[in-house]
Amino acid sequence: MSHGKIAIIGIGEVPTRIMPERTRWDILYDVCMEAIKDSGLHKNDIEGVITTAPQAQPVIASELSFGKLPEELGLKGCKDNCICNAGGAGTSNCLRLAEQYITSGVAKAVLIPHVTVHSDIPIEDTINFFARAGVDMQWEYPFGSTYNLIMGLMANRFMHESGCTPEEMASVVTALRSWAAKDPNSLFYGKEVPTVEKVLSSSMLNTPLHKRESNMLADGGSAMIVVSAEDAKKMGRPAAYKLGESVRYFSGTPVVRDIRVVQEGLRITAEEALSQAGITKEDINLWNCYLAYPLGHPMMAEMLGVAPKGEGGKYFLDGRMSFGGDIPWSTIGDAPGRGHTGSGVSAATYVETARQLMGKAGERQVKNCRYVYQNTSGGSGFNNIATIWGGQL
Amino acid sequence: MDMTKPIPLTQPWTEAFWEGTKHRKLLIQHCRDCNSNIFYPRKFCPECWSENLDWIQASGKGTVHSFSTAYDMVEPRFMEDLPYTLAYVDLDEGIRMATRIVDCEPEEIEIGKRVEVTFHKLNDDFYLPYFKLI
Ligand SMILES: [Zn+2]
Repeated sequence: MSHGKIAIIGIGEVPTRIMPERTRWDILYDVCMEAIKDSGLHKNDIEGVITTAPQAQPVIASELSFGKLPEELGLKGCKDNCICNAGGAGTSNCLRLAEQYITSGVAKAVLIPHVTVHSDIPIEDTINFFARAGVDMQWEYPFGSTYNLIMGLMANRFMHESGCTPEEMASVVTALRSWAAKDPNSLFYGKEVPTVEKVLSSSMLNTPLHKRESNMLADGGSAMIVVSAEDAKKMGRPAAYKLGESVRYFSGTPVVRDIRVVQEGLRITAEEALSQAGITKEDINLWNCYLAYPLGHPMMAEMLGVAPKGEGGKYFLDGRMSFGGDIPWSTIGDAPGRGHTGSGVSAATYVETARQLMGKAGERQVKNCRYVYQNTSGGSGFNNIATIWGGQL
Repeated sequence: MDMTKPIPLTQPWTEAFWEGTKHRKLLIQHCRDCNSNIFYPRKFCPECWSENLDWIQASGKGTVHSFSTAYDMVEPRFMEDLPYTLAYVDLDEGIRMATRIVDCEPEEIEIGKRVEVTFHKLNDDFYLPYFKLI
């Protein structure tokens, strides 16, 4: 018996593209209006707005923090507004806070939007942001650390311990892009899916990370409408009910983050979230994992028990997590498949979780999708938040 | 664009560490109450919250825990250093630091290899503890 308290009843999204011609507010109008229409509610039913903090975009972040969105959209019933920042885990906190708004009586319906436009940020600013985000300014940054290098250090250690090969690592990109090619909201929709050979023949950014194993920055936005589980049930519309959650904090500074502690955290949070939802991993129809980079996926598959220890990479190479494979996995293709929209990829992953449970995922629809595991993580991996969602309470 | 190398953003309780590097000494913060070796240095011991903190001099020897050699996509101010290898080194005193492995071909670096400290001058106030293969 689960104790789900909230449900997502409406979603809106713009395709992730490189679109400097669209302003952030232009995108916000579209995603918010689409999500509200999708929920069947009236705009004035929205009583709370909790936005995922956009990264590296100080003007919009401050406008959203200080309450411009409800006024801009004419949400006449709005009672309060704020933004949540925990990097890629920001949206998870928006959902938690939405639950607090709802259970405490602040709001009956909460709008959770996100927008990121990378393409009008000067390239130096973007490089500088990603060099400094989630690394220590005293003990790492002066040595020439970057986000890519942090991922490289983690991946090299994992490959050393697990025996995972470069071919297996590269096959994660193939798997993620196979989903992206079928996703109209992806930057790579309809595009050729790169083979393992093609990934490995791309230039080396930093060992073991090839160019095609990193992310392309893009622009995008999404929004969700959240109400109480009870109200969602009464409305009788397709919904995604939050059934379980568990989280562990690791460290803010990558060098003090031990890979074994992270691995145990990935394992235990899944176990606890499943137990809270009253189901087992065999009940999960979709593993909707968010790791921002492809290199973490084999480790994740092993820690979730989806693949046996030492075989996470092999499962990807065998195509089992690809579109058409037997293990539906990250059906928007995570950041490598979707295009990197900063803190927006995890927001988009929640939208996809809801879309799959609502049966609206088109070509990517997972058959009889009843339960979804979804995780998020913030910064350079300071935590892991595991959640379980179901199509019914 | 600022092309100067970034200097460590220090705290009052980390200044002794950087002062040590100027004298080619690798100092590790040590808690006299619970006997922990601490990295990175804190205002209070993160294990027991004691303020009875001291410094010990490390042997300067350690083992490569992991590494990644950069060839591209670093900040403009680090471009001139390419290729360079960032590493996590486990010191014999039981702490792990981020550093660079220098004075060798990137292909020679492997997880588990033994390394020793070598100090790289950033400016008159800061020497970064890098490591080289033994
Ligand atoms: Zn102590």
